[in-house]
Parts: sequence; structure tokens; C-alpha cells
Amino acid sequence: MTEPMVEAIGVHKSYVGVEVLKGVNLTVARGEVTCLIGPSGSGKSTFLRCINHLEKHDAGELLVDGELVGYELRSEKLYELNDRRICHERSQIGMVFQRFNLFQNLNVLENITVAPIRVKDVKEEQAKKFARELLERVGLEGKEKNYPAQLSGGQQQRVAIARALAMEPKLMLFDEPTSALDPELVGEVLDVMKDLARSGMTMIVVTHEMGFAKEVADTVYFLDQGVIEESGDPKVVLTSPSSQRLQSFLAKVL
Amino acid sequence: MSTNGDAAVKVVPVRHVGQWIGSAFLVLFVAMLIHTIFSKIPSGARTCRKLAGKYECQAILKWRFGWNDIFHYFTNDLVLKGLLITLELTALAMFIGIVLGVLVAIMRLSHSRLLSGAAWTYTWVFRGTPVYVQILMWGAIAFLYPKLAIGIPFTHIYLVQFGANTVFTLFNAAVMALGLNEGAYFSEIVRSGLIAVDEGQTEAAMSLGMSRGQTLRHVVLPQALRVIIPPTGNEVISMLKTTSLVSAIAVVDLLGAVTNIYNQTYQIMPMLIMASLWYLIVSTILSIGQFYVERHFARGALRTQPPTPIQRLRRDLRGIASKFRTKRGVQVGARP
Repeated sequence: MTEPMVEAIGVHKSYVGVEVLKGVNLTVARGEVTCLIGPSGSGKSTFLRCINHLEKHDAGELLVDGELVGYELRSEKLYELNDRRICHERSQIGMVFQRFNLFQNLNVLENITVAPIRVKDVKEEQAKKFARELLERVGLEGKEKNYPAQLSGGQQQRVAIARALAMEPKLMLFDEPTSALDPELVGEVLDVMKDLARSGMTMIVVTHEMGFAKEVADTVYFLDQGVIEESGDPKVVLTSPSSQRLQSFLAKVL
Repeated sequence: MSTNGDAAVKVVPVRHVGQWIGSAFLVLFVAMLIHTIFSKIPSGARTCRKLAGKYECQAILKWRFGWNDIFHYFTNDLVLKGLLITLELTALAMFIGIVLGVLVAIMRLSHSRLLSGAAWTYTWVFRGTPVYVQILMWGAIAFLYPKLAIGIPFTHIYLVQFGANTVFTLFNAAVMALGLNEGAYFSEIVRSGLIAVDEGQTEAAMSLGMSRGQTLRHVVLPQALRVIIPPTGNEVISMLKTTSLVSAIAVVDLLGAVTNIYNQTYQIMPMLIMASLWYLIVSTILSIGQFYVERHFARGALRTQPPTPIQRLRRDLRGIASKFRTKRGVQVGARP
């Protein structure tokens, strides 16, 4: 059996006195699409941010591709990694944010090429060529010279996906990628994500789009108050939930 | 309501009576002021000539503002040398101020309590005391530290020694004083710029594997610049004028040169007006530069650039021209 891409065992995280994650267990196999759903404040985004160490988890084990995130185990002790190693770990995990977070000072092409050039020492010409391919893939050819402020939300989010893909990540994290979009623009972003899922990318998606979860996800996890309440095949979990909490959550969302 | 569908409805703008009265007074006042600027007054001397055995005397008139003296001294060597010193002081002090300011701002935002504490203390001291006092103190620094040396701390073993006065010539002391003072203010400008950049930008850069330095250099600082540039322009212009304080330690800048001249010729007001004109000329050039630099850095943040003054002038002229073609409240040619 191949090693899972992401494995979380009892992950805890507290912010000054408030326990946000109370022991999250989760496994994501290679090439699988996993959706995290749950009410706001349930810890979905926090957990996602722990996976690329934007947040430090306090306890538990979190492994990506068989390696501990942010720490190193040596003689029974966990040593925090130095900045350089953490940067290297992050460079292999793509992340897409709710508010796009495109670099406002750079045009579309520069947004996509800056990290490959600076972090992976890719030649500028090569980075640009790959960036153009990615832009075509997300349906935005011809927008190379535009600045983020000149694009619609849906276009910005598609550029953000291309920017993450430019690093050729082994795992993609999506933090409510469509929540800040006008309803009519949600579809174009979801289409890009579906296409990405079909290409075999391992994805973890925090979302409120139940339709997307049902259609694309291999596994769905329902997170509530810092713990996984229920998980499994979305067609089962989302249509006939067994827990009271998920039933009432779905009743509100759908 | 228009009864016949074709004719345009007339629009009659409101008349602002108060504005008209105010404007009339203002025009009157400005006219009086301009008149005094270009008027002549008796100089106290008289010229006399003999006409048919009688002396006929006339008071000699001179410009109230001493325009001929101003014109005479405007490009005098001493004045130009002083101007050069003023420009050098401004440039060097701003350079030190900007470098220090960026450094101190980054220290201030550091996670290390020691670094941020040191940065805070520096800002506290140099912003909390008058720049005039600081200039005087740097001018007399040799009283505190007569000798500067490189060696082993807390011992008397030195590799090199200098007299403080050879390092801190009056000019260097002035540059240090102005630069260190500016650094304290500038660090606050940089800090506000760095804070103004959305945290999501840093997160996105970090999620791509960029280091803190790369994030700062390629993402955060360029965006902070948009916030930092406008006050920087003001700081440069402000520095240009603050340099005039260095006369306190006998550095002969523009004001110093002018003072030296009027101490001999007693043309106090004309010389001060001349100095002011030079300061105005330089600060005007700086503001024009500031406008275009700001415009350059606003790129990417705005969908459309604001017009340049020249573009605005053209638009205004077109506007005025079209006003002449329109009668008040009625579109010419709209009449049936």
C-alpha cells in the first residue's frame, strides 16, 4: 500500500486559551480530492493552514508525503525546522486563498513566475513559458500584462490557482476558494478545480459548495468544534448523514 | 416637465451670491498685494539738478522689494555655493534618513524584543528632541567624545584613533544631525507603509516557499512604497528647508551665504526674499518630481491613472472653451 499524501493524527491547535483543533485525525491518499466542510469557526481553515505550517500545531503528528510538517524527529525529540527547511516544505504545497491574495504590485505573468524564479531558480524564459501554458489551462490567455486590480474575482482566483501550480506542487490546498466570489463567477473557478482533480492532483478543499463536494470529492470530512464529526464517501455522508450535527448543518446550507 | 418631446429641458445652475462677494474681496486684496510687490518707494536719497539758477530736487525711488538687488545677487558665486551646500545637505541627510528609516522600521517589526526595543528607543530619543538642539550637539560632539578609535572595547588597546573634529567637520556634523533626526521620522513612515500591506500578501508569498527576505523584497516593500512615497516627497521638501538650521553651527548653506551678504550690505529683506525664491524654485522642482514618482508607484493599484497636470490643463481649457460656446442655461442650437 502506498503512503498517504497527508496524514494527521490527533492534531491540536490553540490560540491564547481557545482550543481550535481538538485532535483532528485525517488521511488523504495520493491523487484523492478531499473536502472539508463545517460551520464557520469549526477549525477547517486553521487545520488547512497547519498543513503548510502557516500555523504551528501544538500537539499531534502531521505528515505530508511521509515527512513531519515543520518539525524533525531526532532521538525522541521534535526539533522545529529552520526557516530555510520550512520554506522548502512549503514550496511543494500549493495554496489558494479565499481572498485570492494575488501580488498587487506584479502583473499576472509576474505573479505566476516570481516564486519559480526566486525559490526554484527556474530560468526566466522557462518560467514564462510554463506560466503561459498554465494561463491557457485556466482559460486566461492574453491576460499576462494585466494587474490583479484589473481582473474580476473569478479571473483573479484562476490566476491564483495558476500561480500555485507554477511551483509544480504535490498537494494543493484550497481555503474556501469561491466564498469571496459573486455567484455567477463561482462556476468558472470550480471548473478549473474539477479539471485539476481529473488530472490526478491531490487536493484538500475547504468549501461550502456541497454540489462540488458531492461531484468531485473522494472523501468528505465534516469538522465541528475542532473535531471530525463524520467522514466518508460524499454521496453517503452528504445525502444520509448519521450525526445530528451534520444533519442540521446540511439543512442550513442546502 | 417638457410638454413637447423634442426640446431639451433648460438647466439653470444655482447662483452662489456669497461666493461672488468673497471672490470680489479676494481679488481686491490680491491686486493690492501685487501692487505693493511691484511698487517703488522713496529711497531717502534725492537727486538735484540746477535749472535756471535754482536747484530742483527729486526723491530717488527704489523697488519696495529690492528687485534690482535680488536680480543682481541671484546668481552670485557665494549664493550658488551656498545653494550647492543646501542641496548636498538635503541629499546626504535624506539618504542617511531613508537607509536608517528602513532598517529601523524592519527592526521595529522584528519578533526580537531586543531589536524592536532598540529601534523604539532610537525613535524616542531623536524624535523627542528638537532638531535644532541636535544640530548644536553634533557640532560640539568633540566635547563628549574627543577621540574616536577602533580597538578592543572596555580596554585602552586601540588599532586606529582619530580626533573627533577631523571626522565630524561642521559639514559632516550637520549631515549626521539631520540624517539621524530624519531616520527617526522616516522609520515611522516606513513602518506605517509595511503595516498597510495586507497580511494575505505575506501569507501567499510564504505559501509559495518564499523566504522572509524574498517576501519583503519582492512583495511587501514594493507595495509599501505606494504608501511611503507621498510622505517621502514631503520629507525631502521639508528637509530642504530644515537644512537652513545648520547656520547654527556656521555651515554656510544658502541661508548662511545670504546672511553673510546682508551683514555687509544691509539689504536684509531683498536677500531673504532671494533665498526664499531659491527655496521655492527647488521645492517646486521637487514637487514635480514627486508627482511623477507617485504616479509611477500607483501602477497596479489603480485601474486608471489620475491625469497629469498637463492633461488636466488641456481638459480645463477644453472645458472653458466649451463654456464660451454655451449660453448660460441654454444649449446653443437647441432652440427650436
